[in-house]
Amino acid sequence: MDVLFQALPQLAKGTVTTLYLAAASVVLSTVLGLVLAILQLYGGIILRALVEIYLYIVRGVPLLVMLFTMYYALPYANIRIEPNSGGIVVIGAYFAAFMAEVFRGAVLSVPRGQWEAARAVGLRTPRILLDVVLAQATRVAGPPYINTCIMVVKGTSLVSIIGLMDVTYVGKQIVERTLAPFEIFGAVALVYFTLCFALSRLGRYLESRVNYAY
Amino acid sequence: MAVDFTFLTRVAPALAEGLTNTLTLAAAAIVLAAAWGVPVVMALLSRYRTVSGLAQAYVEVVRNTPILVLMFFIFFGSGFAGYPLSGFVAGLIALVLQNGAYAAEIYRGGIRAVSQRMPEAGMALGLTPRRSFGLIVLPIALRNVIPPLSNQGVMVIKDTSIAATISVAEITFKARLLADSTAAVFEIFFTLALFYLAITAIFSGAMRLLEWRVRIA
Repeated sequence: MDVLFQALPQLAKGTVTTLYLAAASVVLSTVLGLVLAILQLYGGIILRALVEIYLYIVRGVPLLVMLFTMYYALPYANIRIEPNSGGIVVIGAYFAAFMAEVFRGAVLSVPRGQWEAARAVGLRTPRILLDVVLAQATRVAGPPYINTCIMVVKGTSLVSIIGLMDVTYVGKQIVERTLAPFEIFGAVALVYFTLCFALSRLGRYLESRVNYAY
Repeated sequence: MAVDFTFLTRVAPALAEGLTNTLTLAAAAIVLAAAWGVPVVMALLSRYRTVSGLAQAYVEVVRNTPILVLMFFIFFGSGFAGYPLSGFVAGLIALVLQNGAYAAEIYRGGIRAVSQRMPEAGMALGLTPRRSFGLIVLPIALRNVIPPLSNQGVMVIKDTSIAATISVAEITFKARLLADSTAAVFEIFFTLALFYLAITAIFSGAMRLLEWRVRIA
């Protein structure tokens, strides 16, 4: 237990890095995911095919492999990117594929009849998108979106392997020094658990708020 | 920077040495996780509040913890406790613990998706609740779970790469060693990605075939 108390300041620092990485990756993957979903739904055939290929690759290749590629290969291509931003870009781009699936599925879950009905009462396309389709799609997208956010938070732990000092990295360093794996990794796990559990509770709360008149 | 694609033919055999480990770990993890999900879902659906509460707590804990941290916990923890596990076993346990929870949730969803009317109809025909579940609900639920189980299996295959961090000599581990000793990193990681794409494609293709074979025509 003493070990844990002494390690707390460092773990706290690592937690801040994890929070920062997680927040930035969630934002980036959401934005990119929206773009990908829009391209997939309303882009031309070429864009749609490109997005489809991108999604296929991301679905089949581990995040760790992508992080390694960024970490080892980019310097050879003379691309210098600060490791923190590099990690965020890779994680964001990776989970954007999952986000795109969520958003696309949600939009497609709104029946065609809704479009036709909205047109029949004289709404224009932007109004239909906002007031009819998105209003219903956001409700459908809520739970899987939160799940994907949780995957993003957990995914950020992989940056410790390429040397970013997030809470997993800090935890491993401390364990190597103090040989107290249960306390330290338990604490690290608790950090992620708290974050992800809070997210899922928040998701459930939002769901109940949004569905009140549904 | 020029990408030398003839290098692929030299990289591929070196990576293939790790292929056995990746495939064994993935296959064992998928089978054991699917099996471990069964007692977990039975506990989740138990009518005893303590049992279902404990199962729910277990599911929440392993689902909200990164697989990397689970692997570290088990790998370094087992060594510290005096029962050192090999990286392979520690990685396998972590994968099974986490994905067993996911599998249990998938089973629960699959059972719930079967209309409540069906077991009722079975009971109306004189089946006991147990037989009604076994003969009517389960066969439909099992068909329901194939697609989500297949997706989870792909996740497991990809997550085996993380076992490289606890020194399991699978393909990502080999690729990293190669990348450290050569300057052909692009080619190495490109080949590595191709390996994973091939493995996941074969797996999901096989699952789709299974889904098609057991469909209700």
